[in-house]
Amino acid sequence: MWADTLLIVFISICTALLGEGLTWLMVYRTEKYQKLKAEVERQSKRLEKRKEAHGDSLDKQHKKKIEREEERLKNNNRDLSFVKMKSMFAIGFAFTALLSMFNSIFDGRVVARLPFLPLPWIQGLSHRNLPGEDYYECSFIFLYILCTMSIRQNIQKLLGFAPSRAASKQGNGLFGPNPGQFK
Amino acid sequence: MNNKTNTTEKNSEKQLPSVWTRAYTANSEWPDKDEFLDVIYWTRQVIGIVLGICWGLISIKGFIGLMLFVLANAGIIYYYFTNFQNIDEEDYGGVWELCKEGFMTSFAGFLVTWIIIYSGLHFESGSV
Repeated sequence: MWADTLLIVFISICTALLGEGLTWLMVYRTEKYQKLKAEVERQSKRLEKRKEAHGDSLDKQHKKKIEREEERLKNNNRDLSFVKMKSMFAIGFAFTALLSMFNSIFDGRVVARLPFLPLPWIQGLSHRNLPGEDYYECSFIFLYILCTMSIRQNIQKLLGFAPSRAASKQGNGLFGPNPGQFK
Repeated sequence: MNNKTNTTEKNSEKQLPSVWTRAYTANSEWPDKDEFLDVIYWTRQVIGIVLGICWGLISIKGFIGLMLFVLANAGIIYYYFTNFQNIDEEDYGGVWELCKEGFMTSFAGFLVTWIIIYSGLHFESGSV
């Protein structure tokens, strides 16, 4: 029991590091991405400050300025998403293949015993490819997704690759803050 | 003029203790909001893992475990920013914004540690 669960945590750490490493190689280190990211952060902070200062004012001029800045930010966010998209697809494909390999290794294997009964709409995931109807039994995929949810985000934050709060607050481009987070 | 401003800025930065020290000190100053939100975020992650280990060790089961986690997690953080650091929640977009900072990641970390410790301690490979 320990062996399987700890192995899944290890796999999840490795895939998160691999994912971030590949994204760094293909996206984060490129000049275009760095420029766009800095620009989006600068604009988001400026917009936030401006909104705080003139939030309630009905001044048309300020409103127009804010709208113009929002439009510019939206365009930059879109460009940023496009820069990320290519590598995200490549990484997505690679990780889908890896995941199916792990899935076949752990096929039909109960990796853990859940201390709670999952909600019915989660049981399909938590009991995937497992025989019997004991829904306390946990499948590989469920534990892997939970590990990835926690480990990937923390690794991103530790390495400084997580999107800034100001940028997230102002809304992120096409695919939200972390496209392919669970891959 | 610029040099003067830079020196003043450097001086005010020097006067502030490190984030670690401020996180442990009551009523600290947080000129950079992101620093405080980071403290909340990482505190949450630690709480998630510690509670996961405790729940696994004492073998708490069922939805009561999940509910207790949500209450303890939100309660500790709420106490930390209202009574210990005494910050004005409105500066950070309200209590809700602070309460949800890093919650999902902490929840996932809690579930992982709870499940691993619970199954590892109470179930052998053959018995599952």
